[in-house]
Amino acid sequence: MSIFQLNNVFVEFTKHSLNELSLRELLGSNFKRKKSEKIRALDNISLQINEGEHIGIIGRNGAGKSTLLKVLAKVISPVSGQVIRNANKNIVPLLELGIGFQADLSGRENCILAGLLLGYTHSEIEQRMKNIISFSELESFIDEPVKNYSSGMYARLAFSIATEINPDVLLVDEIFGVGDEFFMRKSVVRMQKLMAKGVTTVFVAHNIDFLVEQCDRLIWMDSGTVKMDGNPHEVAAGYRDSATKLKLVEKN
Amino acid sequence: MMFIKENFDVASLRFSWHFSKSQLKLKYRYTFLGFLWNFIEPALYLVILSLVFSVVNRMNIQDYAVFLFSALVPWRYFEKVVATVMESIVSGDWLLKKMYVSPIAFPINKWLISSFEFLFSIFAVFVLFAIFKENWSIHLIILPLAILPWAVFGFGIGMICAVSYLRFRDVKPLVQMILILTFFTSPILFSSNVFTPGSLQAELMNYHPITYFAALFQKPLYFLTWPSLLDWIVSFSISALALVSGVYLFIKHKSKFYYYL
Repeated sequence: MSIFQLNNVFVEFTKHSLNELSLRELLGSNFKRKKSEKIRALDNISLQINEGEHIGIIGRNGAGKSTLLKVLAKVISPVSGQVIRNANKNIVPLLELGIGFQADLSGRENCILAGLLLGYTHSEIEQRMKNIISFSELESFIDEPVKNYSSGMYARLAFSIATEINPDVLLVDEIFGVGDEFFMRKSVVRMQKLMAKGVTTVFVAHNIDFLVEQCDRLIWMDSGTVKMDGNPHEVAAGYRDSATKLKLVEKN
Repeated sequence: MMFIKENFDVASLRFSWHFSKSQLKLKYRYTFLGFLWNFIEPALYLVILSLVFSVVNRMNIQDYAVFLFSALVPWRYFEKVVATVMESIVSGDWLLKKMYVSPIAFPINKWLISSFEFLFSIFAVFVLFAIFKENWSIHLIILPLAILPWAVFGFGIGMICAVSYLRFRDVKPLVQMILILTFFTSPILFSSNVFTPGSLQAELMNYHPITYFAALFQKPLYFLTWPSLLDWIVSFSISALALVSGVYLFIKHKSKFYYYL
């Protein structure tokens, strides 16, 4: 069963978007007709993700990996193209250090807000709260505002919430870099359990060995396009190959 | 029906409600007087304004205070709604950039908070009225209906401003200026009776939208009459128009919000 189906998806960002936000720019552009530069973050992406697949996305910085995850998570609407999501699945995003947290609210309150957004009721989250707190090891900080958290604590809480509330699909963007060694191992074990249970996962990571080990499909992205898609070993080899070539070019 | 399901999904509305509760708690968590500020702040504001303007207008302070409070209280609510709803989407970037939530959750959140605080300031006003106001009449019972157009108008204008503010950040000072201009030209500080009937100023007052909104409160509280049919029709149609345009703008541009956050 297909979870995501992307057809010819384009995402464009405007460069110098700071100026774009002023009224002067609008009035000015009528006279000057200056075309602002566009960056194609996703350039004609078509792909299908099926239930139970474990997908790793690799590529250089700025290749569009995170943008792709945000499109899957419904955070970004593409400029053109079609995104079909399986409506019955609980899609849980874990983007850049976690889910959206409001800095002034406590960890507990943020847990509840995140849970509500993921479709749970207040009491359902309260039931899971104990597990979330104990897994994140934040017992003594849970009622502190999250602005006082370290980045490791922040990521721990986000990871605990996202994995505790029975996700069907997990979208994970580079979260294993934070947190200490112990928590990292603990969370990898938990991820593996979820994956074994059949949770569809999409990872973005720079640790290619990790992805080759965990995933059954790898997608290599390069400047907004899919360069290779398929068997993890082959794609990883292709990616590494291009990296060594690049190094050679730089040496000469 | 599709657009209701898309924009007002249960999860986003639940989030909006709970987020408002958390924010209200947070706001008074570190204050000594806590919730009492909801009474003290508007009361102080109203007393100072009525003292100053009764001198300027050479009116009986008691009489003037009742006149002023009646329309100033809903105006302050309106102003608060417009200002906070305007910034709501931009300040919701902490979530809108990371997780899917219907962006309308943020305007609704700000509207809920302002409305809640307004309800509290009403108590403060009635305490002051108990001191200043001599005549009471049955016309008071219309007030819960009279606040409705103010609330809808504020939300609608706020939504229009929120979408424009997202696109052009110049909108904020512009809106603040327009609000000030609207306030000082409207018959809230002064009664329209100060102009001779038939004069240009009196004529212009008839075209000021706030005249009709203000009448919904001034008539039952100060003049001890019912608001006229015209007051109801004008205020309800203007607020409905604002709401429809606000929601329309919002839905039309919703998919582009991320790019301007």
